[in-house]
Amino acid sequence: MIYGFALPSEALSRKILTPVAFKERFPAGRLKPPVGIIGGDIRSLVELHLFLEPDEATLPGIDLQTLPNWIAQSIGDPELAESIRAVVSARNNYVEGCQKVYELVGHRLNQARMVLKEAT
Amino acid sequence: MTYHGYAGKILRLDMTNRKAVAIDTAPYRRWGGGHGMGSALFWDFCTDKTITDGRHPANVCCVMTSPLCGTIVPSAGGRCEVVGVGVGQYPVSWFTRSNFGGRFSTMLKYAGWDGIVIEGTADEPVWIDIRNDQVLFHTADDLWGKDTWATQQEIRKLLHIKRGTQAHWQNLDALPLADDRGYAEQQSDRTTQKPAILCIGPAGEYQTPHAALIHDAGNGAGQGGFGAVWGSKNLKAISVIGTGGIKVHDPKTLLRARMITKEKYVVNWQTPDFHAWTRVGNLPKPLIQTAMPTDERRPQACQGCINGCRSRYNIGYGNESACQETFWYGPYVRKIAKNSAEDTEINLKSADIVQKYGLNSFVLQPGLHWLEHLYEEGILGPGRQIPSELPWQSIGTLDFAEKLIHALSTKTDIGADLAEGWVQAALKWGREEDLHTGALQFSYWGVPEHGYDPRAELEWGYGSLMGDRDTNTHCFNYIFTNVSAAFAFGKPLRIGAEQMVTLHAKKLSPYAKDRPEVLDYSDANMYSEAVAQLVRWQQHYCRFYKNSALFCDLKWPDFVNTNVSNFEGATGSLDAGEQVFWNAVTGDAISFEEGIEIGRRIWNLDNAIWVLQGRHRDMVHFAPYIYKTIYKKGEIFPFFMWTCRDDNGNWRYQDLMGRSLDREKVEEWKSIFYQLEGWDSKTGWPTRTTLEQMEMGYVADTLEAAGKLGEDAS
Ligand code: SF4
Repeated sequence: MIYGFALPSEALSRKILTPVAFKERFPAGRLKPPVGIIGGDIRSLVELHLFLEPDEATLPGIDLQTLPNWIAQSIGDPELAESIRAVVSARNNYVEGCQKVYELVGHRLNQARMVLKEAT
Repeated sequence: MTYHGYAGKILRLDMTNRKAVAIDTAPYRRWGGGHGMGSALFWDFCTDKTITDGRHPANVCCVMTSPLCGTIVPSAGGRCEVVGVGVGQYPVSWFTRSNFGGRFSTMLKYAGWDGIVIEGTADEPVWIDIRNDQVLFHTADDLWGKDTWATQQEIRKLLHIKRGTQAHWQNLDALPLADDRGYAEQQSDRTTQKPAILCIGPAGEYQTPHAALIHDAGNGAGQGGFGAVWGSKNLKAISVIGTGGIKVHDPKTLLRARMITKEKYVVNWQTPDFHAWTRVGNLPKPLIQTAMPTDERRPQACQGCINGCRSRYNIGYGNESACQETFWYGPYVRKIAKNSAEDTEINLKSADIVQKYGLNSFVLQPGLHWLEHLYEEGILGPGRQIPSELPWQSIGTLDFAEKLIHALSTKTDIGADLAEGWVQAALKWGREEDLHTGALQFSYWGVPEHGYDPRAELEWGYGSLMGDRDTNTHCFNYIFTNVSAAFAFGKPLRIGAEQMVTLHAKKLSPYAKDRPEVLDYSDANMYSEAVAQLVRWQQHYCRFYKNSALFCDLKWPDFVNTNVSNFEGATGSLDAGEQVFWNAVTGDAISFEEGIEIGRRIWNLDNAIWVLQGRHRDMVHFAPYIYKTIYKKGEIFPFFMWTCRDDNGNWRYQDLMGRSLDREKVEEWKSIFYQLEGWDSKTGWPTRTTLEQMEMGYVADTLEAAGKLGEDAS
């Protein structure tokens, strides 16, 4: 996948790696066929990345339509939000959408970690 | 009398006087086994059926097997049913049930017992040692305070059980020797098996609500708080070892039906269909809810199961845990885990903690969500309105999990306030609003929602409401999981909505045969007589086939099956249906529908007990948030697909999120349900006519004497 976004600033990198307040949490569940769904929520991009990591046993449950707004407003990364909006609208199915978001978020986290590492 | 499938006697344990008495199974035969027999025994031996707390000395707890236990009936041979008045529900702890797997029920049968009735209260901790006919009460001073795993190890040591199974026979030398025993009988007093032990941990000893009974590493009777019931009776453990067998009426038919299951209904091993739509016929699948910790595993199953939904790993943790307990802590672990390996490790070690403490983790799922909410809102924590010294800032760590479970199990810290139940704690803390907003998602009877929200999945919600607990009955909800998963992957649907409901309706005899509209969950049909018939079918089916015959909830019923050319599943079939197995083992000749009718009788007896406990239709309602708030779209999954008819009567799969239930219409639905059951719709109480029609005039007499007999419709 080609990632179209620039390196984040140091300040943005910090935001990217910082959990949001409880009130800003994003709802998320997990489906395990055939036995059910378990609720929860997401409070950081690090957590979102782990949450979306594909595993054979379960499916992540998240609203991909509203996720970009959360990333823009609560995390504060409009550029990542825009990229996610684009992959979500171009996706063939929900699982593919989750996978693409997983890759994008992973890339963004790597960028932020690299920026902060260089800054120290 | 020859007992096919049955051991022939039931063990009554008088805890108060430390006496064990055998009673004949025969008078209880008409209740089938498991739950049905347990309810009938409770009716006969509980002297005060008005009690509403399972820790009351009058409570009677029955641990029951089925005729199928210990046989090769697929996924039915190793379950065990527990009944009695529960603990920690709201507003009343009902006469309720739980169920666990493993090898306890089979060993009990091999020892010659169809079930155990536990009455009274011992004056000090004891454990029970059953070796075939011999039943010993031992003091449990040295076991009290030990966790469930240490307890089982200690009992094995006390019994001098040798390790290994091949060369080491266990000698049941404590058995009294009869003078006229021949060689074969002497041989039968030896076994290579270890005793099966059912016990409580600290949560049960402290009599906390939702304390579980644990057997082996990870088989638990979680719901109902039966761990607390045992704790109140000073009963730490029951160990059983048996050397007998089970007489099967028609082994040839049993074997044939089992082979037909394998060859016709189960996925073909040579050309496996990984995405088959079936319940009994799927590839064996571990039920772990996190990523696998390792590939170095072997399946572990309840005795006789064709699935093996649990694992034993080479890593030394997470053994025998499956399903919810492997993820009760999941949403918090991922807040701190560095990668999925650490995520899995903390989750599985947290599963081990609840198993060892003997605590039902199910309650923690929405329960911890609520506690976190209170902490984050500044209400709960050190020096706050609800004081708690737990390290809430490190939620997600293994250390926090251990401290939380310890507090809940020992009634310390917030565990003290939660000691009577979660809704009770909310009221005590002045947090009633949380029941209205849904911050505390305990949808019915003071117990948590199960991931199948009543606002979407009707049979689950209504079934729980008309029953005694979260129903935890997965008869139909694979419709949601299979269809939603197919939608998620953008895969073609294996079975279209119309065919799906038609296939189901073929098997919904007697109430809804060929009435596909019972599975129409659209807004227009959600309070209908049709849905009431579906709920009735499910309750009656489960009371007999699942809770009494003990077919596993994860594998039965099998309505649709893509391994079969016409997609018709095994349930009720003439070649490998539930009744075929039942008849082959017991020698009965019941039809599938007659099994459902036994279930109706059991369900009616249960309802009579609830009525004596104080149930009236006015108290039968969901938690307020179910009526006041909508099931938010995307809240826990992007869609909740189910079969619905559109305005033109065409079937389709439709997303059911985004709606709430209407209180008035639920009331109307309840009236319909009561009428269909032959109960008084003003009160929800059974009527004499209905009870007598099922040969339960004596139940009607008791209800009448208590002033709680329903009026027949004029
Ligand atoms: S599917 Fe799992 S719970 Fe059910 S009988 Fe098999 S091993 Fe036991």
